[in-house]
Amino acid sequence: MKKWMAGAAALALVAGAARAEDVTLQLKWVTQAQFAGYYVAKDKGFYDEEGLDVTIKPGGPDVAPAQVIAGGGADVVIDWMPSALAAREKGLPLVNIAQPFKRSGMMLTCRNDSGVTSTDKFKGQTLGVWFGGNEYPFLSWMSKLGIPTNGGPDGVTVLKQGFNVDPLLQKQAACISTMTYNEYWQVIDAGLKPEDLTVFKYEDEGVATLEDGLYVLEDKLADPAFVDTMAKFVRASMKGWKWAEENPDDAAMIVLDNDETGAQTEEHQKRMMSEVAKLTAGSNGALDPADYERTVQTLLTAGSDPVITKAPEGAWSHAVSDKALE
Amino acid sequence: MLMLLAAVVVWLGGWWINARLAARPLTGAARLLPPLVFGVTLLLLWELLVRGLGVSPVLLPAPSAVWARLMTSLPTLGADVTQTFLKGALSGYAMGCGAAILTGIAVDRVPFLRRGLLPVGNLVSALPIVGMAPIMVMWFGFDWESKAAVVVLMVFFPMLVNTVQGLAATEPMQADLMRTYAASYPQTLFRLRLPAAAPFLFNGLKICTTLALIGAIVAEFFGSPTVGMGFRISTEVGRLSLDMVWAEIAVAALVGSAFYGAVALVERAVTFWHPSHRR
Repeated sequence: MKKWMAGAAALALVAGAARAEDVTLQLKWVTQAQFAGYYVAKDKGFYDEEGLDVTIKPGGPDVAPAQVIAGGGADVVIDWMPSALAAREKGLPLVNIAQPFKRSGMMLTCRNDSGVTSTDKFKGQTLGVWFGGNEYPFLSWMSKLGIPTNGGPDGVTVLKQGFNVDPLLQKQAACISTMTYNEYWQVIDAGLKPEDLTVFKYEDEGVATLEDGLYVLEDKLADPAFVDTMAKFVRASMKGWKWAEENPDDAAMIVLDNDETGAQTEEHQKRMMSEVAKLTAGSNGALDPADYERTVQTLLTAGSDPVITKAPEGAWSHAVSDKALE
Repeated sequence: MLMLLAAVVVWLGGWWINARLAARPLTGAARLLPPLVFGVTLLLLWELLVRGLGVSPVLLPAPSAVWARLMTSLPTLGADVTQTFLKGALSGYAMGCGAAILTGIAVDRVPFLRRGLLPVGNLVSALPIVGMAPIMVMWFGFDWESKAAVVVLMVFFPMLVNTVQGLAATEPMQADLMRTYAASYPQTLFRLRLPAAAPFLFNGLKICTTLALIGAIVAEFFGSPTVGMGFRISTEVGRLSLDMVWAEIAVAALVGSAFYGAVALVERAVTFWHPSHRR
């Protein structure tokens, strides 16, 4: 008990000593070029120029950004919109303040020798899907195509795939989920050729949902000082992203320098950066309401067990991005 | 504030009741009272604190919310238990424990194997489950077979050690007696050594019940069909449906305890002669 109290007191001291311009950012995944803009902004001093002291916390398969921000572990988190909206409906009021990723990088990659070369060949096949909040675009797509996802000759059998591409290599699944900037290249590195594969991009199928956006807790937006800090953060981050788009190789090297695990390789990160640049291109940081509406529509039509049951309200705000773009 | 006050009252009340109960000798069904009071107090405290402090359901849902979710999701939970427990854990448990007992007998019979196999068994037990599970999925596919394989790996060594230890528990006097009867090896094995080893065997079997369930659940984190307790826990965490996660945890605890209890009952019937079961 005594120890616990001492700990609480120490925590209070640390919190009190923090300056107003400290910002903690929780990433959705491990340190990689997917988050290059933030590392560039930190490394190139864009955050310093705005007077911010930014801490970037890497995530991973066991980190749910929404839970981190709910527990007070971060001021702003990167999340995908489906899981952010799900959290909102569950009573955690996350608000999108900026959307650096204009396009979705998610796709379904199929082996041609499995016979899946077009969407009407899905029936009777086994497909690998990521779960944990990332399954909704897929379910929505299948619902749009009128294909049940509970197996059988007229439906598809769904596997919960891990974060590797083995099911495709071992032909345990005809198709697996991949990101344009990550897993697709693992398939290629494993020896399959692009001409052996058929790729369905969610963006092209009209069921794309918004990925890496910046989210904060709604009640904090009532504080003008917080909005001001976030505006600085978004402005510097977008500067970082545009720098990364123009200098992909250098940006990849900055990411590598910041990867404390040492797990990433130069070739992979440079390739990832050039793919990620295609997704961030065309975004100035502000969320396009049309993209938001499409995401909500996709989620609301996601089969029998939708992640959100009604259109959310107040789930995004231009308050921060307007200020950042002034 | 009222809720917090109520929480303190409940806590002190539960404490007082149990202190009173513990002071007097309890017989029969009354012996169940103290743990029952403790459990109810804990649940009430949890409920009142979550409500009183306004804890976000994303961090910790109230027990009442978990119960409501449990009741509305019974078919889903049933399907998950069938997939994970009946198919994955039980089959892996049977295969792993069966193989370990047979290996234990072989190890006991052949000294060469004791020196060779035991270290290997030790090595297998040291393999981290998070490393083995993805490999098993790669080898045996996404369905319950790969989960059973993980369970086999998890239960094999504790069972093997207990078997070997149990077979060594025969008293020399007893073995000498069998020899004077001119008993063959199988006769000695089945009439003396295995019965003498039974307390050890059941120790192993009981430890393995919980290991099997844990193994089957965790293995599903690394790839699974769209059913199963581990699958449900990992996906519902992603959806922030923590009430469903807790419901699944409650079911896992219930199933695990029932499994342990069933093995303990069999033990009591088989080793009725053992001093620990004498009344």
